[in-house]
Amino acid sequence: MKKKMMAFLMVGAMAIGMLAGCGGVKTDSEAASDAAGGDGKAAEETAAATGKDAYSDEIKIGFLPNVIGDSCAAAWAEGMESYLGNFSNVTFNVFDGKASVDTENTIMEQMINEKYDAIILQATDAAGLAASTDKAEAAGIPVITCNLDADTIHTGLVSGVDVEAGEQIAIRIGESLNGKGKIVIISATPGATKGENIDKGFKAVLEEKYPGIEILDEQSGEWLTENANTVMNDFLTKYQDIDAVLCHNDAMAEGAAEAAKAANKEIQIWGVDGESKMLDYIEQGLCTGTVYTDCQKQGAACAQFCMYAIGSGITAKNLSATPIVKMAPIVVTKENLSEITEDMRW
Amino acid sequence: MRQENMRRLISVASLVILALVFGFTSNGFFTATNILSILRECAITGIIAIGVSFVIITAGIDLSTGAIVGFVSMLCANLLYQYALPAGLVMFISILAGTICGVLNGFVVTKLRVPEFIATLSTQYLFRSLVFVFAIRQMGVITNKKITDPGILIMGGSINGIYLVTITFFALAILGQAILKKTKLGTYIYATGANRKSADLSGINTDKVRWAVFMITGFLCGIASIFEIGRIGSATTDLGTGLEFEVIAAVVIGGCAFSGGRGDIFGTAIGAIFMAVLQNGILKYNLPTAAQLIIKGAVIVVMIVFDSVYNQYMQKRIHQKASEEAQAAGGEV
Repeated sequence: MKKKMMAFLMVGAMAIGMLAGCGGVKTDSEAASDAAGGDGKAAEETAAATGKDAYSDEIKIGFLPNVIGDSCAAAWAEGMESYLGNFSNVTFNVFDGKASVDTENTIMEQMINEKYDAIILQATDAAGLAASTDKAEAAGIPVITCNLDADTIHTGLVSGVDVEAGEQIAIRIGESLNGKGKIVIISATPGATKGENIDKGFKAVLEEKYPGIEILDEQSGEWLTENANTVMNDFLTKYQDIDAVLCHNDAMAEGAAEAAKAANKEIQIWGVDGESKMLDYIEQGLCTGTVYTDCQKQGAACAQFCMYAIGSGITAKNLSATPIVKMAPIVVTKENLSEITEDMRW
Repeated sequence: MRQENMRRLISVASLVILALVFGFTSNGFFTATNILSILRECAITGIIAIGVSFVIITAGIDLSTGAIVGFVSMLCANLLYQYALPAGLVMFISILAGTICGVLNGFVVTKLRVPEFIATLSTQYLFRSLVFVFAIRQMGVITNKKITDPGILIMGGSINGIYLVTITFFALAILGQAILKKTKLGTYIYATGANRKSADLSGINTDKVRWAVFMITGFLCGIASIFEIGRIGSATTDLGTGLEFEVIAAVVIGGCAFSGGRGDIFGTAIGAIFMAVLQNGILKYNLPTAAQLIIKGAVIVVMIVFDSVYNQYMQKRIHQKASEEAQAAGGEV
């Protein structure tokens, strides 16, 4: 039996080796590029020559958020739908990435196969979605990322503020603590560009302006309220004095706030996004503040970007870097909460 | 018709019916690109399902496969990014790491006498924690990096549109079927699952057999991981999460009985394709997530309930036939 087992292992290893060394094997983006018209140049010409009229030809646009069940995704989809709904030639479909790189890749593949005219993607993981973004772009399908981008050149990114949000929150915390205190961070899913950028801005300001503020700990809450609640509970049992908490999104800030409330601790809690529930938490004094982005407008901006890319035939092949549109940041605390009027809430 | 062939026919018929339903009710299902895509989607699940079929035929279970894929993928990415090892060596180490995970599962089950369910549930946490141990960090923060080594990326590639992972899946399925049906190990696997005590009494070292099936599963998880990161071009901390359930569903839909002693790789391959067709077809309807999950869950439940009812019916028929034969021979029932 041992011999057979060894033979089995050897055959497997040899098969893998042979496949890897096999000539004529094409990677996904090479194959997609060929299908779109041969070499890169031909594909570019094909896209330009057959570029559709975005406002009269049959157009199919797909939106693939990280996960459909959060208020940001719902607000983006609403914004996209309200804009695209003005054009009867446009079919707009929303998918659910189920917070899984694997699922998002599968759905991307399917949209490419079904020849969608443009894809709006919120990449669960920047590196993990790069290959399928490359494949879509190589097939002549413009990919517009929304908030969470892919780690490759693509047609466009419509981003809420990230680095700036981190900077703004660091300034507010620094000022309120007079430059001295202890803070913890509940971060995004590891690898998410948005989280990394918020951290970058936040830490840079602390280091430069408030060296007396110590970051005690940083753990991932994976964007989720319940995970953030667990992480915050751990922090509260681990550290006696916590002055402030930075969460990379509002959903996690809400989870952290519930944990602080249950432990009867008064701690500054900051989030990023500006969803209605967070604004309620700020009003009730459970959270301190957030950096608000108008997600419906951001969704509409993604949709407009798509229509522009479809009409002009622009894909990553025409670009040397990903063009970025940033939404305006508004720091919201209890003092200026009324500036976010009902029609701006999502 | 033999019971085994009848069960296969039913599996194939279910797959054909499902494909026809999606083909006639959605757009672009029966296109070459979509079919190749389905065959690609089923391959990772299918490769692991070959090993898990062996485990389930021995009346065992392996809940750690998704975590092994997560760990091996992260190890592979780490070796490429931090140590810039050549792709061939990284693949070898990855397959070896997967195999070692399988060996560990086998050890816990056969030497420490922990039931398979508990053992693999525990090692699942162990392997998942190793994902974080090997995760790439920058300034202390986990950062997922793009894999740029062409030797690994080519594993996500295709020859004339047919993906390497699909070719490998079918090759391994043929090999797996041959092992089950034509080798002593295959016979021992069936014997262990059908009645472990009898197998032990007849001189089969069932512990060795169970250890071997876990090792094969780990080995196949290693292979699947290489294809997974070849396709995605990165390893993420959530990679492989929930994969074990897709795999088990494919194996059971393919006709392997949880009670052991029944099933084969042909059925498992059909089960893996069935799962991919189901996922692909549902996505084409653009239904809300809740509806998608309801349909998927309902179809899987129907298939599994059918399998159970069919199994009971066939057992009854076998007993009935045996008793009729005994009566005809004038013997006691």
